[in-house]
Parts: sequence; structure tokens; C-alpha cells
Amino acid sequence: MHEDIDHRVLLRPIETTSRRYFVLLAVVLLAILSFVIAYAYQLQHGLIVTGLADWGSGGGATWGLYIGAFIWWVGIAHGGIILSAAVRLLGMERYKPVARIAELLTIGALSMAGLMIVVHLGRPDRFVTNIILAYPETVHTSPLVWDVTVITLYFVLTATYLGLTLRYDIVRLRDELPDRFDPLYRLLTVGYRESEDPVVERMVWWLALGIIILAPLLLHGGVIPWLFALLPSMPGWFSAVQGPQFLTIALTSAIGSVLVISLAFRRAYDWGALIGDDVFRGLGLWLGLFALLFLWLQLQQVITGVFAPPIDVDAATSAKLSSPIYWLAIVMIVTALGYLTAQAIEPRYFTIPRTVFAGVLVVSATLIEKTFFVIEGFLHPRFDMYAAVPGSYIPSFIELSAILGTLAMVTLFFMVIAKVIPVVELHAIEDDASVADWEVEP
Amino acid sequence: MTDSDLGEHSDQAQSWEAQMRSLLEEGGYDIDLGIEMARDAQRLVAGELSEQEFHERYHAAVTEEFGTDERPVATDEPSASFVELLTGECSGGEDPSRREVVKALGVAGGALGLGGMAVADQQRTSTQAAADGPDEPDIQYGMVVDLERCDGCLQCVTACADENQTSNGANWMYVLAYLDEHTEQENFLVRPCQHCSNAPCEKVCPVRARHTREQDGIVLTDYDACIGCRYCQVACPYGVNYFQWGDPEVSEEELDPNHIWDARGMRVDSRPPKGVMGKCTFCPTRQDGLQGEDKVGTVACMDACDAAGMRAIHFGDLNNPESRPRRYLRERAAEELDDDTDLDMDADWATSTTRWRKLSAFRLLEDLGTEPNVIYLGNQPGERADQQEGPVPYDLIGRVDRRKDVLDERTVGITGGDD
Repeated sequence: MHEDIDHRVLLRPIETTSRRYFVLLAVVLLAILSFVIAYAYQLQHGLIVTGLADWGSGGGATWGLYIGAFIWWVGIAHGGIILSAAVRLLGMERYKPVARIAELLTIGALSMAGLMIVVHLGRPDRFVTNIILAYPETVHTSPLVWDVTVITLYFVLTATYLGLTLRYDIVRLRDELPDRFDPLYRLLTVGYRESEDPVVERMVWWLALGIIILAPLLLHGGVIPWLFALLPSMPGWFSAVQGPQFLTIALTSAIGSVLVISLAFRRAYDWGALIGDDVFRGLGLWLGLFALLFLWLQLQQVITGVFAPPIDVDAATSAKLSSPIYWLAIVMIVTALGYLTAQAIEPRYFTIPRTVFAGVLVVSATLIEKTFFVIEGFLHPRFDMYAAVPGSYIPSFIELSAILGTLAMVTLFFMVIAKVIPVVELHAIEDDASVADWEVEP
Repeated sequence: MTDSDLGEHSDQAQSWEAQMRSLLEEGGYDIDLGIEMARDAQRLVAGELSEQEFHERYHAAVTEEFGTDERPVATDEPSASFVELLTGECSGGEDPSRREVVKALGVAGGALGLGGMAVADQQRTSTQAAADGPDEPDIQYGMVVDLERCDGCLQCVTACADENQTSNGANWMYVLAYLDEHTEQENFLVRPCQHCSNAPCEKVCPVRARHTREQDGIVLTDYDACIGCRYCQVACPYGVNYFQWGDPEVSEEELDPNHIWDARGMRVDSRPPKGVMGKCTFCPTRQDGLQGEDKVGTVACMDACDAAGMRAIHFGDLNNPESRPRRYLRERAAEELDDDTDLDMDADWATSTTRWRKLSAFRLLEDLGTEPNVIYLGNQPGERADQQEGPVPYDLIGRVDRRKDVLDERTVGITGGDD
């Protein structure tokens, strides 16, 4: 496929740094700084500085944008497994150039999800110790502990996967990689032997299989929605459809994010030949399919909620349907789907910027929809006698800065990692026969 | 609570047996067999008898009496019978090879899954036995709240806030005046924490900070363990949790040290520190005698209600027939029903036509299976009940009703006004 591309192309991010890179770096660092200041202020004064409040007589929402952002980042983290599964398990070779970018996105996004949980706690200092101390008992009953478990497992599996696939590339490109990172490269390739290649190949296949069972079915199609869907106290949440519904959020926002990052790298390093049009065209189709699934599951909920609903479900559904925020999210997804369908039927409508814009629309809509979903639950509880119910919630600047800050951190993560390791794997530009051409020192 | 809990009170046990006898006589079957089985059933619950032993003991007698016994009994080939149940195949007259296959399949299935279930089942029985056994004191603190006696004076709300030094708006004890559909009558709902026996807040807590005290069934928050994730507030259907969003209004030094740690040395009483969850505690330091013997068995809200002459709140051990709430139930039953028989605490609350129904007794959102330990007498709020301003507004007692108004003052950003 890309056998004609010289391997030096892969090293462009490591070897060249433009002025725009430094401008972006400054912007990103500023955004992170604003988040750090906001969080320090929150630590000092407590969560009272956010827009959150007690539901019930308190008239607020207990959880808000932090939890919405948590769900969102876990969803985006599914990009890695979608691409790895496509490439490793289904043999879709065309996506190889963006597979590692997607896997790196998983690491970055999962870290942000974990950070959101910590930021949303009243006593983050106790988080790790107290969860571990109580773990043997709480793992049986607390969906929050299930979340911590599956996210940790997903992180470890993805990091292992990434670490294993990196060895091959680093060994072969070592002479051209900067010496200042030598200790890191030596650590990553410790004990490498050429004979391990086929073994590692099998290992990552099994890892990919493990992750594809774990991540979609147990994480975003499982424990994340179960945080809400298992609670009869909130009729807006209590539903068996939340698993599949959350999964579509994960799949759409993940593909949307991969589209954005792929375009960023393609533009920045002139990788038009490496990350070809077919990657964007193909991902756009998948995005459209998953967006359709998202809308279909929304339809299921709306129909159940309006046909002959019990009183509490009726209240929750009518409130949802009369909220402009809900419709904003739906219209954004419908717009993206409309364009993606048009380009699938008529290829001349296809352009990369349009496809990526559809991705941005979907990624933004999922953040809006999921944050709305979290808040809606508190505003329309089963026990709604309180005069202060439905309450209200507007995200504070503190919480908004967390969205900005985490976006900046993931951007920074990519900017730094691209200077250290090849973000496109060597396999993307070589066929199996050419592997032997590389001279590897024993 | 089960009948066996009450069985230790021997006079009760005798009246229970007489009651059962008259019930069984109506059925027209062997009375002695019924009584004997009931006794052994209690032993089964107490863990002295295994389920298998129980079924085997009565298999023959039950078959003789009723002509059939569908309860499971152990046979030489339990696995085969299990597979037969699944496949609907009858075991008689099969060829041996088929039997072998079925047996092997059953054994494999049993080894994989059923074995684990059996172990889990046994464990549950033994822990239940430990909790319900006759050696344990098995106190279950709870409340009977007579809503017909409440006039919405909010004295209980004030007393709770004073006792626990809660921040303004964190109304652990809360009284809703409300109107229901199709009626002009103003009703009240007194809403402390329901101290559920199957508490959703406790289930979801990731660090076991929210827990039930074994000695008396009070649901508490360990302020030193809570990480402030607020999942308890999310899972509670009643909205009784109030988070400490900022610094408490009353500092650590100003709190009475006898009113912070309970007898176990756990920090569970008074307002929570910053960043952790608080809610109505049923005054554990009072129950532990740390505030004087005279306050054992009392709670601040009940004292205030009594002092106001209302006697609407009755706190005490729901398992003890002589406790204040149980005596009050009898008193009310006598008034309403001309009968001082104690009410069966285990009866169906809303569905049966027992005396409960006539007493208009209910528990809040009982269909959610939370098993609350607050029993209300009076009008049950309907699905469309709506809170109104009561005869005494919250600002008159110096408390904020809608807490968000206080919290919004410190929010960095747009708060959406005072509405």
C-alpha cells in the first residue's frame, strides 16, 4: 500500500519543529495553567466554587460537567481499540497509518477521564488509599468501583499493547532517533531479539481481542452507563438501553477525535501520502454508521418515554424534549450524519475538511448530550415533591476550565510524544517481505 | 425483620403459635405437621438446619399429605435431574449412553456454576444466622412519624440544625408542606434520613464510608473515610444527603468533642468537614450514652417535637415491642381499631388489608425496595404531590430552604439568578 514511502517520512515530527509548534505550545501551556489555577482555587475553597449543589431541597445537581467530561473522555479513549481492532483483528490495512495515533489517544483520554474523577472529588487526597482499602468488599456492590477497575485494566492493556508494538519500530529506527532519549529507548526495547517479532505479533493480536471485549462491552457499554442506569431513583437514567446508547457515544466521539488528530498530523507534517484520503473517507463512513445508531437508540428512549409512560418517566421525558440543549446535540448529530450520508452516496461531496468538521460536530454533541444526560437525572428525580425540584445547574468557570485544561493536556501529550517516538508505525509503510531488509543488531 | 426476630419474646411466641394453629385449621391439612415444619423453618433461617436437611426431613410427609412435593430434594443424581428440568426430558426408560451424557453434562454445569451458587447460598445463610441469631441484641432504630399530629412548626428542623451545627440549607431534618391532587387539604411530610435496611447509598459507596452500624442498624457516614464522590446522594431516592461543599459554618474547635466520635471511635456525628457527605444520623452519640444516659434512645428532633407538644415523632428500637414507636403504634391501633393487638411488623404495607391499611401506615417509596426504617402514619403523598410554603416559612426559623441560594454566592461564574 505505502511501500513506496521512505521511512524518513515517519521521522518528520522528531526531526523538524516549526514556529507554529511553539505558538501552539504556548497556547496549550496557558490553557493548562488556567486549569491548574482554577483547580487550586477549588481545592482551597471546596467544591462550593463550582455550579454544583445538592439535589432535592437543595435545588441543584449533584454531578455536572466534571462527570459529563469523564464520560466523554472515556468514550474518546475507545478510538485506540476501534482502530487496533480494525487493523489487527479485521485486517483493515488502510487504517494502519492512524492506528498508533488512536492508541496514544486512548492513553491520553483515559488519563483525562481519571483526572476528571479526581477533580470532582471532595477529598481527592483519600482517593487511591481508601478505594484500595475497601476494594475487596466494595467491588461487589459499587458501580463506581467497577468503573475504576475496568478503566485501570483498559489502561494497563493498552499501555502493554503500545509498548509491545513500539519495540519493533524503535529497534529499526534507533540510529535515526535522537540520542537524548536513549535511556527511554533502551528501556522500551530491553531484551529485544528479532525472533520475538512473530511472538509479539501473536501477543498483540490476543491483547487486541481482549481489549475489544473489555472496552466496548464492559466499559462504555457496561460499567460507565451502569453508574446511572442501575439507579431507580432517577427515571431519566433507569433504563436497559443506556449500555448500547453509551456505546454509540464512545464509538462516535472516538472516531471523531481520531479524524481531528489525523488531520492535524497530516497538515503539520505534510503527510498527505502517508495518511491518505481513503483513511478519512473510511472513518467518515464508520462515523456515519455509529451516529445513525446513536440516533436510533435516542428514538427508542423517546418513544418509550412518550407513548404510555409512568408519571415519573413522563416528567423526565417531557423535560428532555422541551430542552433546547438536548435538541442542539441532536441537530448537531443529524447534521453530521446528513453530510456523511451524502458523501457516501455521492463521492464528489467528499472533502477531508468537511469530514473532519462532521467529526468535530459529533464530538462536541456527545459532550453536550452526556453532560445534559447527567444533569437531567437530578432535575427530574422519582421523588419530585420538593419545591426546589427541578433544580438548576450552570457550569462554573472552574468546571469549564477543566474542559479546556484537559483538551490542552491531551494536545500537549501528542506534541511531546511525537518528538520522542514515531507516531505512525513502520508497518504502515512496509509489506511483510521488506521486514527482512532491515538490519537489526543482535 | 422476620417473625423469628420477635420469637425471643416468649409470650409473643405463644400467641404466635395459637394464631398459626387457627390459621392452619382453616386450611384443613395436618396441623402438627405444619407447626413442626414452621419450627424447623425458623431453625433453617437461624442456620441450625441446612436447606437440604429440611427438605429431606419432610419430603415423605409432605407427599403423603398433599400428594406432591415440588421442593427440591437431593437424589443420587442431582445433576441429571437438573438437566431434565432444562430439556424437559423424562428420565425413565432412557438408554444408558444417553443417561451418561446427560449426567456428564450436568456434572460439568454443576461444577462450573451451580457449585458456586450453592456456596454463596450457604454463606448467606450463615451470615444471616450471625446477624439474626438469638445471641445478638439486634436493635433496629427507627421512627414512627404521625403526620396527622404534625402542624409544620419546623421545631424539629431547628433542633436538628442546632444539635448538629449543620451549615445553612443543609436541613438534615426537613418538613415539606404539600398539596395533593384533588384535595385542598394541606399535608405535611417529615423527612429525616430513612435509615434503610437495604440502603442504596451504602451499596454504591466506593470506600465503605456510608455504612450501617451493626449494633443498632443506624446508617452513618465515616467522615474520615468519605472521599466526597457524592454517589450516595445520587443513589438515594429521598434526597436526604447534604454535601459539605465549602468550609463548615461552625469550626472544628467549636464542636462538642462528645458529639463527633461515636462509641466505636468513628467520626460520624455533627456536621461533616469540608468535602465529605452529611445527612441525618439518628444521633449516634446520644444512643451511645456519650451525651448522658438520659439521652439514650432519644433524638434531637423528637425532643423538640415533644417540647412543642406535638408528639409526632417517635424514635426507638423497632424490634422491641416495648419501644416508644411500637407502643405508639399500639396506642394508635387501639384508637382506630378498638384493638390493642400489636401490629405485625412484617406484613405487607400497602397491598394487604391488614390493620396497617386501616392505620394509614406507609413507608416512603417502598416499591424501590429500600426497606426504610421510618414508618409514617397519615396521608401518603401521591405521585403528583407538590410542596407549598408551610405555615412557618424556613426563613422564619433562620434557615435557608433552597440551599443552592447559599451555595451560588460562592460559585465562580454565572449562577442563573435567585430563581
